[in-house]
Amino acid sequence: MRLWNHELHLLLRQRIALPAFLLLTLLAATSVWVGLAEIARQNATIARIQPQQAEDVAAIAKWASKEGDAGSAAYYTFHATWDAPSTLAFAAIGQRDIAPYVLRIRALGLEGQLYESENYNAELALPGRFDWAFVLNYLAPLFLIVLLHDLKSGEREAGRITLLAAMARHESALWLRRTVLRVSFVFLSLALPFFFGALISGTSLLHIGAVLLITAAYLLFWTLIAMLVWRWQLSSVANAAALAASWLILTLILPALTHLIINSAIPVGQGVELTLAQREAVHDGWDKPKEQTMQTFFKAHPEWKDTAPIKGGFHWKWYYAFQHVGDMSVAPQVRAYRTALEARDRATCAAGFLLPAVGVQTIIHRLAETDLTAQLSYQDRIRAFHARLRKFYYRYVFNEAPFRAPDFEAAPTWINDAV
Amino acid sequence: VNRLRLIAADELRLMRRNRVAMLGLIMLLALLGIAVLTSIAHRDSNDQIRARLQAQADMEFDGQPARHPHRMVHYGHFVFRPLPALAAFDPGVDAFTGNTIYLEGHRQNSANFGDVRQSSLLMRFGQMTPAFVLQTLAPLVLIFIGFGLIARERENGTLRLLQTHGATALQIIAGKALALSAVAALILAPAVLALGWLLLVERAYIMPSLLLLTGYAAYLAIWVGVIVLASSIAGQTRSALIMLVGLWALTTILLPRLAPDVALGVKPLSTRLESDIAIQHDLRQMGDSHNPDDPYFNAFKARVLKQYGVAKVEDLPLNYRGLLALEGEKLTSKLFDDYGNRQFAQQKAQSRFADRFGLFSPTIAIRRLSMALAGTDLEAHRRFLEQSEAYRFTIVQRLNQLQASAVTYSDDSNRNKDPEAGRRVRIDPKNWRNVPDFRYRAASQNEMLRAALPGTAMIALWLLGLTLAMRVTTRRLQEMM
Repeated sequence: MRLWNHELHLLLRQRIALPAFLLLTLLAATSVWVGLAEIARQNATIARIQPQQAEDVAAIAKWASKEGDAGSAAYYTFHATWDAPSTLAFAAIGQRDIAPYVLRIRALGLEGQLYESENYNAELALPGRFDWAFVLNYLAPLFLIVLLHDLKSGEREAGRITLLAAMARHESALWLRRTVLRVSFVFLSLALPFFFGALISGTSLLHIGAVLLITAAYLLFWTLIAMLVWRWQLSSVANAAALAASWLILTLILPALTHLIINSAIPVGQGVELTLAQREAVHDGWDKPKEQTMQTFFKAHPEWKDTAPIKGGFHWKWYYAFQHVGDMSVAPQVRAYRTALEARDRATCAAGFLLPAVGVQTIIHRLAETDLTAQLSYQDRIRAFHARLRKFYYRYVFNEAPFRAPDFEAAPTWINDAV
Repeated sequence: VNRLRLIAADELRLMRRNRVAMLGLIMLLALLGIAVLTSIAHRDSNDQIRARLQAQADMEFDGQPARHPHRMVHYGHFVFRPLPALAAFDPGVDAFTGNTIYLEGHRQNSANFGDVRQSSLLMRFGQMTPAFVLQTLAPLVLIFIGFGLIARERENGTLRLLQTHGATALQIIAGKALALSAVAALILAPAVLALGWLLLVERAYIMPSLLLLTGYAAYLAIWVGVIVLASSIAGQTRSALIMLVGLWALTTILLPRLAPDVALGVKPLSTRLESDIAIQHDLRQMGDSHNPDDPYFNAFKARVLKQYGVAKVEDLPLNYRGLLALEGEKLTSKLFDDYGNRQFAQQKAQSRFADRFGLFSPTIAIRRLSMALAGTDLEAHRRFLEQSEAYRFTIVQRLNQLQASAVTYSDDSNRNKDPEAGRRVRIDPKNWRNVPDFRYRAASQNEMLRAALPGTAMIALWLLGLTLAMRVTTRRLQEMM
């Protein structure tokens, strides 16, 4: 213990050590604060839209319930969905700044509604967010490099290394002590702000533990790289240069090249092509014989087969039927699009096994549910909700039942975690 | 001057022998080469895909069968944003914004299918483009090559040696800077080739291309200056290296990320969903077309009847339903413009706020300049959004006009009851072909140069500040020698 205390004194007397720890703590704390503020903003938005949405529906109900026409009620009423941030999202905002986390849909064809974008400033999204995951991924290794690059070579250059080796009972234990001390401080500088953020956000202990474990593993990786470089017995300057170059390659160049390779190896086709196809399918519905559309629709929804046949030029039954038939007709494209997106995500995951920076980002964002998979899962929940909405309105439309004020309130409501 | 050249030549000889420096340089050049080739290929294929999809959408619109004009209002149209040639150099926000919009009546849809939502998180690590390599990676390689320029001489005690040979501090600093500038020029070479290709083959604008090149040359010159400065201030080579890498991390990695977060905190945006609800709300306040006793639409009806001198809508020479559709679209479109402008204004205020950090980070400054000149900044996206909204309004009103003039009121009212009327309301499909196609008007050369002003000013400010700092340092170095 006395040895450790001694080393601690030595460390803190170094010109660069204490400022480095304080700076890293400050950066980590800032990132946590930024993340918490962003998530608070998103939660506030989700809360804010509820009364607005209720007012909007009430205004529609006011005139539509007089006519009691279920078809136009379904046509004009939008239903809000939202994707509440997880309690870990503050640490890794991920794609939540560019993908919508609130979206309104109605009982018309879903494929034309599902891919709507959010209002966001693309110039601000371009460099990426300043969240805790960023501090961990990019900045923490740089701090480690600053602290570790001259651990051995500095003593050699100061002419103390033989003396130190002679004095220490176990030379390797000395270096290990010094290394452990520095890495622990870096770890604490990162972990403490995160931990407080997690407490405020109410993150589960399991997630906190997992994140801290990943943090430790990532720091260990960079420590090992530093130790590897020591073995070459280079000067401090050369050590610093070699480590900074490794950092550049491992956190910037290789991930960017991997992205390039993944996106060209796994083309996603064009999401827009399926939207174009869906529009054609929906609008062809107007010109196709009604009977044909209804037969296709009844294959998916046989429960309405025996309702009264359609007479006249227009009926909501037929309208909603061809909306859904439009969605059905592009199901293979939707699946292909989805599969390609998932393949890209899987490939990134695989790259994470080779590139620790990518691996850390992948795991933390998965835990925080702010990655592509989370986006797709939100879409899945919207799909399920859309199906509930359709079924709800079909009951009125196909039974030709009146749709009155209480019926507006009976409509399915979004439950955030309903899958 | 002769001695200056000697110092520079001497330094270059040393650099050539520095195997680590050479390796870094070769790696950077290789990366830049890869970035140039893939970026050009990426832009070309994306532009082609968009052009093909635009042609397909135009063809599908023109090929629609005889229909009620209002069906076409709902059938709508797709427009695609073409990619400017220089997007191959700096794609800017292209991947972060949707590049296609579905246009229809009554609604304003978002631009969708940006690459960022079709990619994994890896995209947020940065895209390997010439702009990224030059903005982010090139300075670090220059740092690796140049951190010891003067600090090394001082550490080895050779600074005094140079002086005894009659070299002044200015000559030493200028000579070293010249040597590092030669490296910077070499780094810029692939960029020159890329721009030359874009200029000659892909017909990029001349002036913006040249200014873009000048901008990047100035940016690298700024870094050469910073490196020489740090190297002459630092006591040891190691502290020069650490100071420079720290500065690099701060200005190219940290600040560009911190600035947006501050801007977003200070000037938040409202979500699409909220704007959507607010627009519906405002619309109801103006006039509710579903309310048979709505004062706004009653007044409109009275005005129309009076204008044509008839007593009831059935007697109008035009289809009243069409006139109503024209009026309704006018109202909604006005609101779309209002809310759109507010949204744009807020986004612009955010960007301007974030740009202030350009005073602390030349990377933010060059990014602003580069995106503006490449035509891939937020303003370029706004151009597209505004033009597509104008186009949406044009085609929808044209179709509403057709409903008013080519469909009779009685047919329109009875179209679902009387099959004959239902047949008559489907008008000749040649009308669809007469609707003009969407022609995106890209920014002109002059507009681009104007847009580049803020970025140019920031870069110029940096050069100026650096020159002043250089003079002070030279004087100090002279005194120390």
